[in-house]
Amino acid sequence: MRDSGVRWLAILYLALGLFGCATAPPQSTALLLAPTEEQMQLRNLQTRSFDVSDRNQAMRSVIAALQDLGFIIERANEPLGLVTAARFAEPRWFDVVGVTVTVREEGDGKMLVRVNAIYNNQPVTDPKVYQNFFATLERSLFIGRN
Amino acid sequence: MSRRRSGTLRTTTRSSELCAAALLAALTLLSACAKPNTAALLLQLSPESPAHKANQTRRFETANETELLSASAAVLQDLGFQVSESVRELGFLRAAKERSAREYGQEIARFFIALLSAAGSGSGSNTLMIIPVDLQQQVNASLVTRPLGPERHEVRVLFYRLVWKSGGTSGDQNIPPGEQRMEMIRDPEIYRQFFTRLSKAVFLEAHKI
Repeated sequence: MRDSGVRWLAILYLALGLFGCATAPPQSTALLLAPTEEQMQLRNLQTRSFDVSDRNQAMRSVIAALQDLGFIIERANEPLGLVTAARFAEPRWFDVVGVTVTVREEGDGKMLVRVNAIYNNQPVTDPKVYQNFFATLERSLFIGRN
Repeated sequence: MSRRRSGTLRTTTRSSELCAAALLAALTLLSACAKPNTAALLLQLSPESPAHKANQTRRFETANETELLSASAAVLQDLGFQVSESVRELGFLRAAKERSAREYGQEIARFFIALLSAAGSGSGSNTLMIIPVDLQQQVNASLVTRPLGPERHEVRVLFYRLVWKSGGTSGDQNIPPGEQRMEMIRDPEIYRQFFTRLSKAVFLEAHKI
């Protein structure tokens, strides 16, 4: 009958909707801490070298850049060169972006800055995000120097 | 043709209905996995960034950063904050305080909405609406000082708050208390008051950027 036909279609539609977002099966625990190709690529995206010789100045520039981007500085550790910050995405207040930034001396008056960004507990893999951050950081370093 | 129970005029054919249903199912499959990725926008300066920075920042003509930081901590204490973290080498302070978040406007609105909605629940159905109001808040401050030259330092402070809401009812459905929201404090008056106090504490004038 027509009514039961529509009901069947509705059930099918609902089932397809539920299966639409099936995620990949979980990895075995042995691989969780293993270095993968993706991790290496991600590390390249997240790391950049700057011509700064003073680590303290570099860290202060990182903090200023994060504040300019509207982040709340949560934790800062000078001896370790570590800054943690987070921010709520303003249109949807339950979206959180967190960043961990480490600043390390590379030798030759260069500083290595690495940014780990997470968006709602998922690592951010979009290279544009990191490029945007480093652009702001460069501005901040330039202002700090002059 | 089988007898239909409803008296409405049939405007679609069975095959077109099937096509529509199949299309809808296909669209659901495609859209169900769409993730809104606005993260790229979040690590970019927004058009409001300079205005926010101007609100939150002041410059002081001093070479003594430690004094500035210590005075900032004292001002936060005066305002009732508990300083939770401090890093002198980076000029960083973090503080928080908890207060009641109850506001007259919300309480009055809740009373009137409850009154008006209860008036409608005459014929057995429960239409009483008690809207949740703000109960408790935690105000946080994140402060950073930065040297800008031999005799100049910049102080930037950010205030934001977490608000917990009370419970309520919507007809027969009970809304449990504890819903939380977060908001950045953007009122320039609050920042002005903070910098006025800081300026008095260090005996220096606070210059806007």
